[in-house]
Amino acid sequence: MSSAMLGIRKGRSSIFWALLIAYGIVTIYPFFWLIISAFKTNEDFYNRPFGLPMNWQWENFTRAWESAKLGTAFMNSLIVSLGSLVVTLFIAALASFVLARFEFRRKGMIMAFFVVGMLIPIHSTLVPLFILLKQIKLLNTYWALILPYTAFALPTAIFVLSAYLMSIPKDIEEASFIDGTGVWGLFLKVILPMSLPALATVTILSFLHSWNDFSFALVFISKTSLKTLPLGIANFADGYQTDYGLTLAGMTISVIPTVIMYLIFQEQVMKGMTAGAVKG
Amino acid sequence: MNLRSHRNFIVLALLPALLIYALFVFVPVIWSAYYGFFNWSGIGEAKFIGIKNYIEIMQDPVFWRSLKNNFIFVLAAVFGQVPIALVLAVLLHKSNMLQRFLRSAIFLPMVLSTVVIGMIWQYIYHPQIGILNFLLESLGLESWKLQWLSDNKIAIYSLLPPLIWSFVGLYLIIFISALQNIPGEVHDAAKIDGASGLRKLVSISIPMIWGTIQVAIILCISGSLKSFDLVYIMTKGGPAHATELLATYMYNSTFTSYRYGFGSAISTTIVVISLLLIGTSQWLTSRRGKK
Repeated sequence: MSSAMLGIRKGRSSIFWALLIAYGIVTIYPFFWLIISAFKTNEDFYNRPFGLPMNWQWENFTRAWESAKLGTAFMNSLIVSLGSLVVTLFIAALASFVLARFEFRRKGMIMAFFVVGMLIPIHSTLVPLFILLKQIKLLNTYWALILPYTAFALPTAIFVLSAYLMSIPKDIEEASFIDGTGVWGLFLKVILPMSLPALATVTILSFLHSWNDFSFALVFISKTSLKTLPLGIANFADGYQTDYGLTLAGMTISVIPTVIMYLIFQEQVMKGMTAGAVKG
Repeated sequence: MNLRSHRNFIVLALLPALLIYALFVFVPVIWSAYYGFFNWSGIGEAKFIGIKNYIEIMQDPVFWRSLKNNFIFVLAAVFGQVPIALVLAVLLHKSNMLQRFLRSAIFLPMVLSTVVIGMIWQYIYHPQIGILNFLLESLGLESWKLQWLSDNKIAIYSLLPPLIWSFVGLYLIIFISALQNIPGEVHDAAKIDGASGLRKLVSISIPMIWGTIQVAIILCISGSLKSFDLVYIMTKGGPAHATELLATYMYNSTFTSYRYGFGSAISTTIVVISLLLIGTSQWLTSRRGKK
């Protein structure tokens, strides 16, 4: 290769990197803007949209927390997210254990039944689910969110978990049966601990999904005291449209848990997203 | 393990998952097809009207508008997100500091709630206080300032950047992990044959991860058809149905106009359309893969 060609190649690659970094800045900027704007006064927000805050208005956060009743919304989000997470983990692990490690008739059919769920557009179930929940008197309860979140998390959870369980060597069962452990013992004491990496993936995926969900909460919850964070934030923005610092502080508070979780478990989150790729 | 000794366990272990899944995912889909044949306001008697709802949908210009908008979303996802993510994945699949940082930055929107994403972009596009118009003004491009979300000719296109912004990260990660699974020998062989850069991408990397690209396309289609939150937050389907999607059309018909039967019929239409689209894309991409 001549030195001229090398030069061109080098020049090209630095243009590439410059473009890449520009792309990176463009993607991160809206998020950065959200956080710095949350600290601004309205004047600051109007006059210097790109600048850092003149005075950092920490009280935007305390005011948002109080006036938007974010405390309640935060608790509600936590209850429904953790609630559906616990149910999902347990029943998906059980089902995946059976689907991955036992031989029985109709196994393929059951597996396919779950996998099809990944392709069903969530919103097409809104109307009938609303009617169903109304009839069984669950509208405006935590269950109105926990059960649907669980149901929609199951296909991905079972997909990820059973793929993982299939990769564990077959001798595990034999060994534990010789030791005199029953199936339940095998499940609780051997299989669950062994599938921790896959369980972590499922945990992150379904937590993110239920923490961030808007449409189910919008339709199934109308009681103010039960509203989850995304719903609370959206309503608050409608009501306090002109206090920008306050609204943005509320939005920032609502993203803190998932962003922290993301920063800590980054690798796992990314792996999880790939593993759950066939979801949608 | 054999069936006889563990039959009870198998049934017991599968039952909770099957029940919840069937009751809250599967049955609703069947039910909405059934409710679609009724005229029902949510209270009182439901009246059987056959396929009238479906006929009305077919004759409703708002439905066609929504369908067209949904197609715009699908196209933006398939021809926007997938190529961008693919190029980024090729450039970022190694692991130095900068690459790792960029990957994380691009993925970050994936962990934010769509509500927050929609609200951030609403502020960006705001005609008076928005940073986009402010930026254009300070660059001396006054004439480019627009009513991004309230001009019914451009509103739907204004929704595409947030859509792409929020999902590129997912496809990026999927493609990176696919690229990392290509055995090293393949690259060595390519190098010996003198293939590099773009050439290598087109004739080696892309064919080798074609299966993953297919999955990504299905995800794009089903994901775009599921879009609701973003549009609901940013425009509520307006102005004058300019940004209406199938899901917002369904939501508005059901919960704003209280037409449960009609809304259910739209739901069923959404399921049918998405299965058709996914089927077609599967067929198209697997033919392309075999060539």
